[in-house]
Amino acid sequence: MAELHLFGQIESGCGFSERRLFCKWGLHAGAAWTLLAGAGAGQTQLDDPQVGDAAQWGHPLDLHLATKGLQGWPRLLLEVWHVDGWGRRGLAGYGVCHVPSAPGCHRVTCVTWRPRPTRRQRLLAPGGPELREPAAAAGAADRFRLRTEAAGTVRLQLGVLARHMGRFGVAL
Amino acid sequence: MAGAARRGGSAVYRSRDPVRNLRLRVSYCAQGFPAVVLYLWCCQFEVDLYLNESACQTPLDWQYHEEIRKLEKAGGRKNCRIFTYTDHDRFTNLEELCQKVTDLDHEVPSYLVERMANVRRRRQDRRPVEASSLKSKIITWEPSEEFIKNNHVINTPVQTMYIMGDLGPYGKLGHREYENVLCTIKVDSNGVITVKPDFTGTKGAYRIELDGEKREVWEYTIENASAQVQPEEEEREQRVFRELYGRHRDYLSGLVGSDFEMPLPGTLRLLVNGEIVSAQGYEYDNLYVHFFLELPNQWSSSPFQQLSGVTQTCATKAVGWDNVAYFCYPFSVEMFYTQEDEDSLPQWPVLYFEVLSLDFWQRYRVEGYGSLVLPTCPGVHVLTIPTWRPVGLGPVAEMRRFFIGGSPELEDLTYARIPSTFQGKRLSRFGFRTETTGSVTFRLCCLQQSRAFLENSALRQRMQSVLDRLGGFSQQSSVYNVLEAFQRARRRMQEARESLPQDLINTSASAVPQPLDP
Repeated sequence: MAELHLFGQIESGCGFSERRLFCKWGLHAGAAWTLLAGAGAGQTQLDDPQVGDAAQWGHPLDLHLATKGLQGWPRLLLEVWHVDGWGRRGLAGYGVCHVPSAPGCHRVTCVTWRPRPTRRQRLLAPGGPELREPAAAAGAADRFRLRTEAAGTVRLQLGVLARHMGRFGVAL
Repeated sequence: MAGAARRGGSAVYRSRDPVRNLRLRVSYCAQGFPAVVLYLWCCQFEVDLYLNESACQTPLDWQYHEEIRKLEKAGGRKNCRIFTYTDHDRFTNLEELCQKVTDLDHEVPSYLVERMANVRRRRQDRRPVEASSLKSKIITWEPSEEFIKNNHVINTPVQTMYIMGDLGPYGKLGHREYENVLCTIKVDSNGVITVKPDFTGTKGAYRIELDGEKREVWEYTIENASAQVQPEEEEREQRVFRELYGRHRDYLSGLVGSDFEMPLPGTLRLLVNGEIVSAQGYEYDNLYVHFFLELPNQWSSSPFQQLSGVTQTCATKAVGWDNVAYFCYPFSVEMFYTQEDEDSLPQWPVLYFEVLSLDFWQRYRVEGYGSLVLPTCPGVHVLTIPTWRPVGLGPVAEMRRFFIGGSPELEDLTYARIPSTFQGKRLSRFGFRTETTGSVTFRLCCLQQSRAFLENSALRQRMQSVLDRLGGFSQQSSVYNVLEAFQRARRRMQEARESLPQDLINTSASAVPQPLDP
């Protein structure tokens, strides 16, 4: 079996239309992958930036994965939510990015989108429509059914370390 | 005595043993008087402890007790010259505060020094806090003074012991001004022992010259007299660790299994995990991207593999000067390359895509065509591809595009690069009018896997062309099989050799009969 170590942090989120944001993250991988150590999902704290619009989270990621095959390379699914002054939660964006396959330190900028709200929803409710199956955002099936709009970007710093990949003839 | 050494810097040792096992031997002599040897245990207060019979529990304690009684009987502690200060004494506090670091004449310790000294001293009395207990309260809204002191500075608990020598003239012992520090020993909770100056070893004794009329010279040596660990015990400890790690490793591999999916021999498997990240700089709103992958000859993919896709429709937003649409559309493609003909160079697959806009009134326009050759070297690649769209002659086509949608389109998307129907030697696009539109960003993680990469691990590091690595396998498959079987057997033999216990290998080496000397 080959192993993959992933560590780093979800650094910040910026460019969203709202300011008080938190991020839910989850790791999705194929059936050949097993999570040996580390939490596979989590949620950052709620951050309210005083200067600028970048919400700084600094949420640590530390995962140890093992795999029997290369298919189903792990992806990180990010959901950014915002909380308004009255404590209501609304969706700010969905984003998905593949875990970088090359070993080393990577700065990943994951862009996000969200389903387009109607004008009434924009006025009254925080956020807009949410996906019935949030995990579907991690995949590409049926994406063409969605009407979305561009939201902000999430910055991640990821360090990737692979082990025994060379033993199975994998060039990373 | 041989040339005396200068009192040099400190030495750092690491040990997991409790500090009580550290024993030092200090021997000193002054100007020709015979040397006196003294054994010291590291915790001075234990000397008093063992004097008290009720505190002795283990046989070792009783032994200490006997030795101290003997010392006491022989007229008190004969040598009152060497004694120690530990953390409980006032000397330590002063010493920590007044330590000078630079050569300034009037160096005054700063506020931080005082805070650190306070914290270090205080910490010895407290038990170490269990780090694993989850605190229910994460935030302390009103921190107390002590809390602030402990948390604003580093607080590694450090135990210090000063071995002092009272170098006063005989008969005038006990005066503060003749006290000199012979050695400083600092032990912290991580098992780091700092001895300053270092043990004398072979360097020769340290000298202290006293100021005064007589200018006496004292020489002393410090040696480590702790009991060494027995080799059998050490061996046993190593064996236990090795077993523990081995069991953990077996458990981990048992969770997943030790096999790995391998491609067929003689093929290269290319796995591309990519995302269509964004599209920027386009004229209209509500963009979507339709793409497909074209596999040249000698490339194949499984029938279940989706080689095309359509993203969602995304409304743009303004970022800087551009209007950007964020798709974040992940795709994963797996392709196989089999080399038939040794002479021809491999052609890499191409991703063709088109950007279209679809608005509220269902007017549909082509915004741009582009193509992207998949990267040949594995790794992470972020590529921004500019696109163009065909423009017709005259204003009519443009007006139609504006009012009702619909624009000149390419029948064959591969025209964006080299049309698949093209046979000749020179491609001419003369007369074809286009207009530059925006660009699309892709992020691709390319992985390559092949049995050929197992052959030479040194070559794998360099980015060689795939051609060298795959060289002519289809004809030499039988030779390859034989080679592979040999490699497998060799690897098995090596692994078996590693897992043999060391002494078995050594004894087997010594059992070889040595040739007799003539």
